[in-house]
Amino acid sequence: MSKATTVNTEPRPSARLSRVVLTLSGLLVLAALASLLWGAGEVGPARALAALAGHGDEEARFVVGTLRLPRTLIGIAVGLALGVAGALLQAVSRNPLAEPGLLGVSAGAAFAVAVALWLGASAATLRVAVAQLGALVGCVGVMSVVRLRGLGDDPVRLVLAGAAFSALLASLTSLLLLFDQRTADEIRFWVVGSLAGRRLDDLVAVLPSLALALAVTGLIARPLAALALGERVASGLGHRPGRVRALVVVAVALLVGGATAIAGPIAFVGLVVPFAARALAGPDIRRTLWLCLPLGPLMVLAADVVSRLVVAPSELPLGVLTALVGAPVLVAVVRARRLPTL
Amino acid sequence: MSDTLSMPHRDDAERLGAPVGERVAPPPGCWRLARGERHLLIERRALGVGLLLLAVLLAASLAYLCLGQQSLSPAGAFSALRGEGDAMAVFVVQELRLPRLLAAWLTGAAFALAGCLMQTLARNRLATPGIIGIDNGATAFSVASVVGLGVSLAPPAMAMVGAATAAAITFGVASGGDTRGYRFIVAGIGIGAVFGAVTQLLLARVDIDTANAAYPWTVGTLNARSSGAVTGLALGLALAGPLAIALARSLSLMRFGDAVARGLGVELRRRRVQVLALSVLLTALAVAVAGPVGMVALIGPEIARSLASPRGVPLTASALAGALVMVLADLTGRLLLAPIELPVGIVTAVVGGPWLLWILLRTAKRTSP
Repeated sequence: MSKATTVNTEPRPSARLSRVVLTLSGLLVLAALASLLWGAGEVGPARALAALAGHGDEEARFVVGTLRLPRTLIGIAVGLALGVAGALLQAVSRNPLAEPGLLGVSAGAAFAVAVALWLGASAATLRVAVAQLGALVGCVGVMSVVRLRGLGDDPVRLVLAGAAFSALLASLTSLLLLFDQRTADEIRFWVVGSLAGRRLDDLVAVLPSLALALAVTGLIARPLAALALGERVASGLGHRPGRVRALVVVAVALLVGGATAIAGPIAFVGLVVPFAARALAGPDIRRTLWLCLPLGPLMVLAADVVSRLVVAPSELPLGVLTALVGAPVLVAVVRARRLPTL
Repeated sequence: MSDTLSMPHRDDAERLGAPVGERVAPPPGCWRLARGERHLLIERRALGVGLLLLAVLLAASLAYLCLGQQSLSPAGAFSALRGEGDAMAVFVVQELRLPRLLAAWLTGAAFALAGCLMQTLARNRLATPGIIGIDNGATAFSVASVVGLGVSLAPPAMAMVGAATAAAITFGVASGGDTRGYRFIVAGIGIGAVFGAVTQLLLARVDIDTANAAYPWTVGTLNARSSGAVTGLALGLALAGPLAIALARSLSLMRFGDAVARGLGVELRRRRVQVLALSVLLTALAVAVAGPVGMVALIGPEIARSLASPRGVPLTASALAGALVMVLADLTGRLLLAPIELPVGIVTAVVGGPWLLWILLRTAKRTSP
């Protein structure tokens, strides 16, 4: 925060920032390439590379073009959405632990989809809208709890309430699955959180709302940075804290609902990615957001590639790997003597 | 709270100049049984709460034996228990419902007793084994045993190793010496998430039949218990129950903080290790029978504390309330969507989740039990 206010240090961090963003983007390209080349099945890197170059055998071309390419693109979109949503939610609640997955926003989206399917809906576009509506309800719930009950003063207590809330929603979701076999068959593979077997249509259905949410994020980055200095300062600088908060809630709901609609509930990405971004770029939310753009997809793609390889020929759910990485980060953040206030 | 401490009774007598053993008015609300030098204070309220919970538990158990796919009248259930009457009813009661009822009693009592012990140890009413990751540790190791990961230990033994590992990590690494407050709980949730992910990892490695065999350990159900694990739990409870009662006095002093407890003669370090060991043992044995039904460890002691006086730590009442919760939850799971059977872990999670939220969102900020 203080760095941003001193004028003479401004050029150097942004030069450094662009270097970091470039490096991370390079790593992201490598991860995407790895995601295209390696898989749990028979088609190894050599055959996949040949298929990419345009002269591979039939099977390799099918695997790379129809299975791995959509999966990679979906991984990029999901990582982008979850990373940015985590950074936004943490900035607006001033809580380094506010993660959409931990606070029940993802679980709200998943529960809404399960209820909609149980009531008879099944179209993919409807699923996106329903998931985003569920995420919106979860997000509004979180924010009103933060504001009304004074939970915002104690970051850890908010996470605890969120964990209880999402555990409740998760068990209600599994109750619905037991209730109705058709719903269970339709979303059993979706509710665990994975990138496997998703189609490009799912991604296309989500893209408009993700783009809208990213545009909103671009507009409110500056007011958010002002809000980090306190409500009065932000008002004094001509921003309207209430409106900024409302826009953040809408953006987070669109991002998390969209990501959940494609991949299912995935926790910890929204915690680890902004955490790493802050470690690299400092506390300014604008820089954090820039770094989240390459970091989120990088984490999701890397986790996805590993999830295909560790138990080949079968696959792990993506959420298992993000939990293995994210839970120790959570413990480390909680154990730090002073929680950083955002 | 301090005026209800039951311990310094004999000292009062000495201070007042009365010879030890002579009749002194017992503290309010207590009966005093004296025999020579020894005397025993029986708190009327604790006795009443215990009897009340026992009566409700027996009534619930009768309902458990009567209700189900084949309903029986209470009289019919009694005669089937004695082995008389319709052969089908005798089979249903003696072979199906009674063993499962016993398993529900034992697991409920063990989970709740372990929860009460750990809450008192951590001086944190949210610090139940299920919430701070010990159930998940026991589950991960049990599943490793079931899917045959190169270890030949039986699930109960592996559950014990897992619970001990998780407890060591949570208390050693995650607490940083401070178990009060919410940080400890969230750190424990993180540890639990790691073990949960490990369980998923193990299940993904094996073929579908083995994974199905291990499935009960991931949701919590009384449907797939092994008789060996139930025997182990019964033995463990018979051993740990009296030990916990023997620790009751130290426990009620440990609630007041280190300085007070030490000043009143509690050997803190040794007592802590003993309490933690008992809690881990009970949790592991119960998980080996029913899987992670951790919410019972939160709900049982909550019920017991709301009924009992704050004079002591309500160990017996917690165990009884836990058994009651387990019996009712499993009965609900069997009846609600019959013929589909809901796992008892889901029933307790649906009931316990709002309860936990209510505890957290109340304005009162007290977390100590």
